[in-house]
Amino acid sequence: MEDAEFRQHVRDWLENQLTGEFASLVGTGGPGREHEFVTERLAWERRLGDGGWIGLGWPEADGGRGLPWRQQVIFYEEYTRAGAPARVGHMGEQLLGPTLLMFGTQEQKARFLPGILSGTQMWCQGYSEPDAGSDLAAVRTRAVLADGEWHLSGQKIWTSLAHVADWCFVLARTDPARERHQGLSYLLVPMNQPGVEIRPIVQLTGKSEFNEVFFDDARAQADDIVGAAGDGWRVAMGTLGVERGVSTFGQQLGFRREFEGVLAAARANRSIDDPDIAARITDAWIGLQVMLFYAEATLGNTAGTPAGTAPGTEANIAKLLWAPWHQRLGELAADVAGAGVTVTGPDYALSDAQTLFLYTRADTIYGGSNEIQRDIIAERGLGLPRG
Amino acid sequence: MDYTDTAEQAALREVVRDFCQRHAGPSAWPRLTSELGLAGLAIDESHGGMGATLAEVAIAVEELGRVLLPVPYLSTALAGAVLSVAPADADLLPELASGKLTAAFAFGDSVTVTDGHLDGVVTHVLDGAEAGVFLVSAGGSLHAVRAADTSVTPADTLDLTRSQASVEFRRSRAVDTGADPGHAEDLLRVLLAAESAAAAGYCLEVTVGYLKTRRQFSRPIGTFQALRHRCADLTVEVSSARATACAALAADDVSVLGPLAKKYCADVFWHVAAEMIQLHGGIGFTWEHQAHRYLKRAKTTQLLHGSPAQLRRMVADRAGLV
Repeated sequence: MEDAEFRQHVRDWLENQLTGEFASLVGTGGPGREHEFVTERLAWERRLGDGGWIGLGWPEADGGRGLPWRQQVIFYEEYTRAGAPARVGHMGEQLLGPTLLMFGTQEQKARFLPGILSGTQMWCQGYSEPDAGSDLAAVRTRAVLADGEWHLSGQKIWTSLAHVADWCFVLARTDPARERHQGLSYLLVPMNQPGVEIRPIVQLTGKSEFNEVFFDDARAQADDIVGAAGDGWRVAMGTLGVERGVSTFGQQLGFRREFEGVLAAARANRSIDDPDIAARITDAWIGLQVMLFYAEATLGNTAGTPAGTAPGTEANIAKLLWAPWHQRLGELAADVAGAGVTVTGPDYALSDAQTLFLYTRADTIYGGSNEIQRDIIAERGLGLPRG
Repeated sequence: MDYTDTAEQAALREVVRDFCQRHAGPSAWPRLTSELGLAGLAIDESHGGMGATLAEVAIAVEELGRVLLPVPYLSTALAGAVLSVAPADADLLPELASGKLTAAFAFGDSVTVTDGHLDGVVTHVLDGAEAGVFLVSAGGSLHAVRAADTSVTPADTLDLTRSQASVEFRRSRAVDTGADPGHAEDLLRVLLAAESAAAAGYCLEVTVGYLKTRRQFSRPIGTFQALRHRCADLTVEVSSARATACAALAADDVSVLGPLAKKYCADVFWHVAAEMIQLHGGIGFTWEHQAHRYLKRAKTTQLLHGSPAQLRRMVADRAGLV
């Protein structure tokens, strides 16, 4: 199918589906709104799976569509343009799936990929721990193989959507004699079992999107380990950057919608007449273009690795562009709203401006804090010596 | 930009970079034009040029900008590109292509045109001190005036690597080229953006190299996180500036992207050059070190052909934001 035809096909499908029971889902979910309409969004995942819209880039032999990169981008663009709800199944599709495609056995792929592709099986990521945040290699959750099962004990934190997940991919220490990046394994753990307890974390927004997950002799099948025992770090890192690429342009469109919301608010209450606000709005718009140009320069050519400063660190550079930009947009949204932003609805109900303002404080922390991104650029991109 | 260089463009970049390593100073101009033919890059072959595009001109501008080669390339090459589409002044093109005649642009609205003659004064004309022909904005069109028909006062410039002049027109004979001065100035902004991004990249390379070799407290200072993080931030700026200049060069309509790219890239250049001095410590403050030359070029670029504040308003206006 030609790109233009494919785009029209996606657009038509979304338009037809975002009606009836799904009409109210437009614009819901995502960072800062992950608590919204979870049940309905789970139903939407199944609808996406039925429509064949999950695993667009996966090989056809593994149940995917094997679509070229450009059409995957088109799907994300149209998905965002339509305001379709933020995905709940993205951790399965974008993190675990690619990991299994790269490191999994045929049996593992046959066991887990169909559930992801049909939108019926939800996954969450068990990496961070209270004492293993930026220093992820300090993971202490233990897993011991006994009686043909892995027995897990420990605590994970900042686990998005753990309360709706059926499974968790967990980085656990299986060899206590080895330290840091050695001795870790990548295990697939069912969430619905007595040894797993989930406690929501109340964020500064007053909402809960993240959880603590406690493993107390939780069990995983002996063969539900991806890669060899002790090889978990390599497996976990192998697909960290996979999901960038195609989702970036959708993210850019989302940013554009948010910017347009702030611009509309500034026009409506005339705060744009203030030269300082007008300047900040213009700078935000310029920043939006610059991020798009950077994405096009580094992602646009699918065939080649882009030449440029700090090769191999494009994802880190992109994060240092978008996270502070988004945070400044949140600050601008609050300042444009003015005094009204200091008052919430009943039960701490937040406006769009308040949500954007508050939630964007997380942008520079999650997904590798901006300080960690800088460390990576300095070391891998610029080759500056370690201390 | 090097994000999208074709094989031919990469070869051109290498030739110019190699040339810049072997030649310094204003005396490089005759060889740059005769041996490499760079002045006529964007001029049609029928007029003695090479028939290339603005993208190739930008590659030369970037490479010359990395070393701040003090030659009037920017204005002359742009003149070739602008006049190539304005056939009324075809007789200028062979002279520009050969490099024997260099050009400078005089923008603004201070010059009036009457019966094919110009009157007025334009200051801060980049590459103006040595220009043989001025391309002057007057009455909504770009006019060509030979330097012999004007009064040129070279300025003592902060940036010693690019000349400026004050040019007075008094009943100066002019040929209307038919070119749009607003479009020409936007193209100049695009080239200044490309030059700034490239020069900023060079400043960062030199600075990172210094942090790897300079030792204090018995270790390379590049091991200190306070400095590493600043270099990472500069990398983000330089990378995004390159991408922005690249997008502006590829654009059909530069009315928004010209001012946008010039503002973004010149701001980045200024910041990287200032950080270059700080991260070099005391040596960075000396006349002997090259850092100050970049600082001065950056500030000059930032303030001419639209200051950051002016360009921001221009972008807001042209993009329909306010």
